[in-house]
Amino acid sequence: MITEMVEPATGPGIGETGAPPRIKLEGVSKAFRVDGGPLPVLQDVSLTVRAGEFVSLIGPSGCGKSTLLNVIAGLEDPTAGSIRFDGRPAPRRPGAVGYMHQKDLLLPWRTVLDNAILGLELRGVSRSEARRRAMDMAEQFGLKGFEGSYPHLLSGGMRQRVAFLRTALANQDVILLDEPFGALDALTRANMQEWLLGQWESWGKTIVLVTHDVDEAALLSDRVYVLTPRPGKLKMVMPVDLPRPRSYEMITEDAFVRMKAELLGALRTEGGMG
Amino acid sequence: MIGKWAAPGAIILVVLASWEAAVRLFQVERWLLPSPSAIGAELVDSRDLLLRHTLVTLEEVVIGFALALVVGIAAAMAIAYSRIVERAAYPFVIASQTVPIIAIAPLLLVWIGYGIWPKIIVVVLISFFPIVVNMVDGLKSVDPDMLNMMRSLGAGRRQIFTKVQAPSSLPFLFSGVRVAIALSVIGAVIGEWVGSSAGLGYLMTRSAPQFLTERVFAAIFILSVMGVALFALVVLVERLALPWNQWERRSRALERL
Repeated sequence: MITEMVEPATGPGIGETGAPPRIKLEGVSKAFRVDGGPLPVLQDVSLTVRAGEFVSLIGPSGCGKSTLLNVIAGLEDPTAGSIRFDGRPAPRRPGAVGYMHQKDLLLPWRTVLDNAILGLELRGVSRSEARRRAMDMAEQFGLKGFEGSYPHLLSGGMRQRVAFLRTALANQDVILLDEPFGALDALTRANMQEWLLGQWESWGKTIVLVTHDVDEAALLSDRVYVLTPRPGKLKMVMPVDLPRPRSYEMITEDAFVRMKAELLGALRTEGGMG
Repeated sequence: MIGKWAAPGAIILVVLASWEAAVRLFQVERWLLPSPSAIGAELVDSRDLLLRHTLVTLEEVVIGFALALVVGIAAAMAIAYSRIVERAAYPFVIASQTVPIIAIAPLLLVWIGYGIWPKIIVVVLISFFPIVVNMVDGLKSVDPDMLNMMRSLGAGRRQIFTKVQAPSSLPFLFSGVRVAIALSVIGAVIGEWVGSSAGLGYLMTRSAPQFLTERVFAAIFILSVMGVALFALVVLVERLALPWNQWERRSRALERL
């Protein structure tokens, strides 16, 4: 077990690290009630994400990764433990944190543009203003020329980019990604990973990515957390000290391969990638 | 388009031709089973009478169906939104379907009288059930991940309803409406059978004892045309209102290939 967090547990202004971490989870546990008895899903998870960091959570299926994201997003309350954003208790009301799912969750009756502006619209930005902002970003998201198309005409990768644009336009500075490329074929997934890498390096957002793809986690992240099977506990924290900007070619480099072997080893001792 | 209608058209022609031939060949009495040509002649000869009664029935169907739609959608929203309402009201909605409408219709007559209202109430009672059940399913069938996505974008309950739940329940609502519109015509006729002074149901009950069998058949013909036309109208409105539903269905079908 590697522990690399030495920040004070108390509020802001203490110590010399300056601002408190963007997200800080301490001893978070979550149990669901199933058939009358508690089913522990997460157990004593603590993690820290600083502003502008890209952090990944990997673990076998059913290790509670998605539940952890729901807890961070404020969609579910933890059974025990605390969540702090910038040193303050996390907002109870969801909406403060962007959330992107494996499914693109596009509304079939809305065009690409109108799907993308959903978050702005919900916040009361006028449709014309929201559309203008979306148009400005369409090219960057590879959607130029498809603004007026309906989702059924788009490929899986494009649909996911519309979902990314929707998340980006909502302009929340913390974004949670729940296996965003899980439903894509291998080639599209590699392209999308590389695309996201470039995007994130220019956005400067704080991102928490859940995945079971070790390559994806190591290539994109500043730090990777490995979870055990249910109930999910922290098994290992691995800082990724590959230089940035990164590119897809790095996955064949020695440093990357060594890191990947270590991550896979940690996953395998816990019963493999169920 | 021609290919689509060729098969049912051929079946109708074959049935009518053999019916006509059988009646002529075996010299069946007119009051027992009139030939299609006799029914056609009746449709033309008594067109004013038939039209007058058709309009009465159509009025009952349209008003009753419109009420069922409003009441059904409102009930579905209440049931889908509130667990208390669901627990309290849903069993009665389902139980209401086990009560034979034909048994209630005479009571409505006793309570309300002979006007148009007992017929409208029968239409509402018979057609609101498929609307409620389908709409409730539609409102509840929204992907929970979709709801989480909306919440994470900061949507409130009302916004989730108007932007996601309501639109995505519309295909379900339309399935209910297609069933309801056909049942509405049956409801109006039941209402008229029990007691009325106008409408195609009334015309049938009055013509049968007088052995005006071709007039009974003419009324049945008009009723089925009315049912099919209203059904087709619903399908047309659905296509125009929800083009995305067609696309989704088509792209899902393509994915299965």
